[in-house]
Amino acid sequence: MSSSTSGTGADKHHPSRRTVSAALGAGAVGTLLSACGGGASGADSASGSGKAKQGGDIVFLIDSLGDTWIPDNSAISSFQGNVWGHVTDKLVYVDGEGEVTPWLAEKWEQNENATEFTLHLKSGVTFSDGTALDAAAVVANLDYWAKGQADKGVNPIGLFPKTYLQASAADASTVVVEFSAPTLGFIPTLGYHGSILISPKTIALPTEGQADLSQVSGSGPFTVKSWKEGDNVVLTKRADYAWGPQALGKTDAATLDTITYKIVKESSLRTASLQSNQADVVFNATPQELDGLKGAGFTVATPRYLGFVHGYRLNASVAPFTDVLVRQAFQHAVDRDEILSTVYTSDWKKAESFIQSNVPEATDHSAEFTHDAAKAKALLDQAGWVAGADGKRSKDGQPLAVTLFPNPYLVTSQAIDELVAQQLGAVGFTVDLQTFDVVTYGQRVTGNKTLSNYEVTRSFIDVGTVASILTSANKGEDWFGLGESDQTLNQLRDDVAGAVDEDARTTSVDQLQQYVLEQGLFIPLEQIVQRIYASRPDLKGVSYNGVAYANFYTAHLEG
Amino acid sequence: MRGYPGFAARRVGQAVVVVLLAYVATFVVISVLPGDPVTNTLRNPENGFTEDQIARIVSYYGLDRPVPVQLWESLSRFLTGDLGVSLRSNRPVSESLLEVLPSTLTLAGAALVVAVVLAAAIAVGTQVLPRGAGQGVLRSLPSLFLSVPNFVIGLVLIHVFALQLSLFRIIEPDSAWATTFAAVALGIPVSAQLAEVLIAGLDHESRQEYAAVARSRGLGRGRLLLRHLLRPSSLPVVTVLALTVGELLGGALITETIFGRAGVGSLVESSVTTQDLPVLQAVVSLAAVVFVVVNLVADLVYPLLDPRVRTPRSTVVPREELSPA
Repeated sequence: MSSSTSGTGADKHHPSRRTVSAALGAGAVGTLLSACGGGASGADSASGSGKAKQGGDIVFLIDSLGDTWIPDNSAISSFQGNVWGHVTDKLVYVDGEGEVTPWLAEKWEQNENATEFTLHLKSGVTFSDGTALDAAAVVANLDYWAKGQADKGVNPIGLFPKTYLQASAADASTVVVEFSAPTLGFIPTLGYHGSILISPKTIALPTEGQADLSQVSGSGPFTVKSWKEGDNVVLTKRADYAWGPQALGKTDAATLDTITYKIVKESSLRTASLQSNQADVVFNATPQELDGLKGAGFTVATPRYLGFVHGYRLNASVAPFTDVLVRQAFQHAVDRDEILSTVYTSDWKKAESFIQSNVPEATDHSAEFTHDAAKAKALLDQAGWVAGADGKRSKDGQPLAVTLFPNPYLVTSQAIDELVAQQLGAVGFTVDLQTFDVVTYGQRVTGNKTLSNYEVTRSFIDVGTVASILTSANKGEDWFGLGESDQTLNQLRDDVAGAVDEDARTTSVDQLQQYVLEQGLFIPLEQIVQRIYASRPDLKGVSYNGVAYANFYTAHLEG
Repeated sequence: MRGYPGFAARRVGQAVVVVLLAYVATFVVISVLPGDPVTNTLRNPENGFTEDQIARIVSYYGLDRPVPVQLWESLSRFLTGDLGVSLRSNRPVSESLLEVLPSTLTLAGAALVVAVVLAAAIAVGTQVLPRGAGQGVLRSLPSLFLSVPNFVIGLVLIHVFALQLSLFRIIEPDSAWATTFAAVALGIPVSAQLAEVLIAGLDHESRQEYAAVARSRGLGRGRLLLRHLLRPSSLPVVTVLALTVGELLGGALITETIFGRAGVGSLVESSVTTQDLPVLQAVVSLAAVVFVVVNLVADLVYPLLDPRVRTPRSTVVPREELSPA
C-alpha cells in the first residue's frame, strides 16, 4: 500500500486509495461477522424496565410481499399472510395446537351429518370503510372464497371445501351454510389464512381496484396507511377495534401504533439490519444465523404450522418405487437425526408421522421409519437389487436410480437432499439432484405425474385435507400415483372424508398414518418450520396462530 | 448541413422500427416459453380447481386466444399508449411503471455523474502523476473496477456505511446517503470504460506533434492537459457514454435489489421470474426508446463537436481559439 509520492495532486488520490482498501477490508470483515451471526451490538443496549409501553412503531423486514393483493389470489402466499393477519379478521381462531375457538362467529351449530352449519355472528363489528360486518357480508365472503369471480379473473381459494353449495342470511347475525356432503373440516377452514373477511364494497370493486391494497377494507386491528408495490406496506392501528379473538385474551385496540413491512431481499442484510438496530423484526433468517442471534440477546421464534411434515411422497406408479420393498428400504435408509444435527438447530423437532405433531389427530408412528441401514440393504436384497463392485445396486442391467428435486420454497431443502443422497448411496441407490428456480420448478416438477418423488412442504388447517391427497377420486391429488387401485387407501379416504364424528375420524386418521408410513409411501424428514422470526428483545407478547404467522396485535414494546 | 433533415428523419424512422421490433421480439420470446403467472397458479394441483373454473379465468385474461391474435391486440393497445394490466399484480402497468421510474432515473443519473467524475479524475491522474509513483495503480484501476461485480461493491458499501457507520438506514433506500452509495456502486463499473477510453485518448493526443511543440515551449503539464488535450480526447467518450446507458439500466437491476430500492430493476426482476408479459413488454419498449434516443442524440451531436468529422461545407464556426470555461 505504501509508495513514496512527490509532486502535486498525488496527495489527493493517495488517501482515497487507502480509504477504499480500508473499506474493502472492513466490509469483508463485516460480511464475515454477520455471516457468522456475530458482530451484533444492538441487543445489549435494549434492556427495558419490563413495563409495557403504550404505542410504538415496528419495522418488519421481509424477503417479498407476493404478487397481487387481490385477497383471493394472494392469500396463500407465504409472505402476504403476515399483512392480511393484521388488516383482516376471521370467523374462528385456530391456534398452534389446532384448537378452534370463536372469533367473529360467537358460536355455531351443525346438523347430524355435517352438511349444514349455522354461524352466529358477533354484533357491532364494522369494516374500516364503515360497512357493517353482518350476515350479508359473511355470505358475500363465503361465495367469494368458494367460487371466486371468474368474470374478474379472481380465483376461488384452493383449500375451500369443494362440497360448498350455498350460504344464506337467516337474519342480520345468523348465516346458514349448506354442503353437498359431510364437511367436518368447514369450521377449522374458517381459520385458514385464506379465509379473511373483507368488505362487500371491496368484493364489488373491479379487478384493478381489488389489487390496490389501499382500497381493500378489512375489520382487523390495523388498517393500510400506505403501500408501494414491491417495496413496503405501512399499517396503522385502528382505534375503535374491539373484537379480538377470545383465545388471545385481548379484545380491544392494539398497543403498537404502526407496523411497517419493508422488502429486503438479501437475507444477510435483513439479519444485519436487526443487529444494527435498523429493524425490529426480520422474517426468514437462515437456521445457521439463529444461534448467533440468540447469543446476542435477540428473540427467535420458529413456530410450526399445522400441516404435513417436510418429506418426500413417493410415486408408486414409477420405477423403482413400484416395489413396496424399495420404498421401505428408502424409508429406513434415511438418517433423520443426522439431518437435524447437520442442517438445523435445536429449535427443530423430529418427525413422528407424516403430519406435524401439533395437529390434534397426529399420532406417533416413528417406529415405522427408524434409521436402519442393514434393514434397508436386506430389503433391497430381497427385492433382487444386487450390489456391484462399487456398492451401487442394479437389477436386470438397470441401476437403482432416484432423482431428487430440492424444493425452492424451503431454504434448507438443497442441503437436506444432498445428505439424503449420501445416505441412500450408502445402501446402494444411485442418487441425482436436480435444482430448479421457483418458476421452472412450478412448470417441471409441481404436479408432474411422471416423477418418482416430490418434496412436500405444505400446511393445512384441518386434517380432513389428507383425504383429498390419497387417491384420484373427486379431483384428488393422487399423491402416491395409485389412482383408485389401493382398496385400503380408498377405504381410509372415505372414512376420513365422510366422517361425521370427530372421534371416528381421529381413529381413521391414526390408521391412515400407520398405513402410509409402513407402505413407504411418504418419507418424513423433519417437522417443518417455514416461517422463522427474529426480533428485538424488548418486543414482547407476539402470538402465533395455526398457520405460524406472527401476530403483533397482542404485542408491545417494553420501556 | 445539407441533407441533415433527411438524415435526421431516416434515423428517427429507424429508431421507431427498432422499438417496435423490440416489442414484438419480447412478446414472441415470452409467449413461446411455457406457462404464465395466471395458469401457473390455476394449474397448481393443490388448488384442485375444475377445468371449467380454470377455462373461465384464463379467458378473462385473454390467454386462451392464439398468440398472433394476442400480439395484434397488445400491439394495437401499445400504439394508442395503453400498456395493459400486469398479470402478476393485476394493476395497470403504467401505474406500476410511474411509481418506480423516478427512483431508477435518480439512481442512473447520479451513477452517471459518479462515473464521469471518477473516469475524469483517473484519466487526468494518469497524465499528471509522474511515471512509477501512482500512474501504474491508476492505469490498472479500470480493469479492477470492471472485474469486481457491482453487487460485491454494493454489499461492502452497505456493510461499512449503513451497518457499521450508520450513515443511512437500509429501510430508507431513497434517502440522500443511500442513493449516493447506490450510485457509487453502480457508477464504479461504468466509469471503467469511460476511463479506459479517456486515458487512451489522452495518451494518443499527448504523442501528437502539437503537444510536443507546446511542451518544448515550456507549457506546464496541467495547462497543456486542460487547454489542449482534454477536448479532443473527450470525443470518443460521448460515444461510449451513449452505450453505457444500457449498462446503467442493466446494473440498476442488481443495485436496486441489493439496496432494496423499488425501481424499474426490481420490477423487471419480479416480472421475469413470474413471466409477467405486459410489464416486461412495457419495460423493454421503454429501455429501447431510451437507448435509441440517447444514441440518436449522440450521433446527431458528434459532428457538431468534432471538426474532423465535419463536411467541408460545414458552416459551424471553429471554436479552437475559444479558451475552455
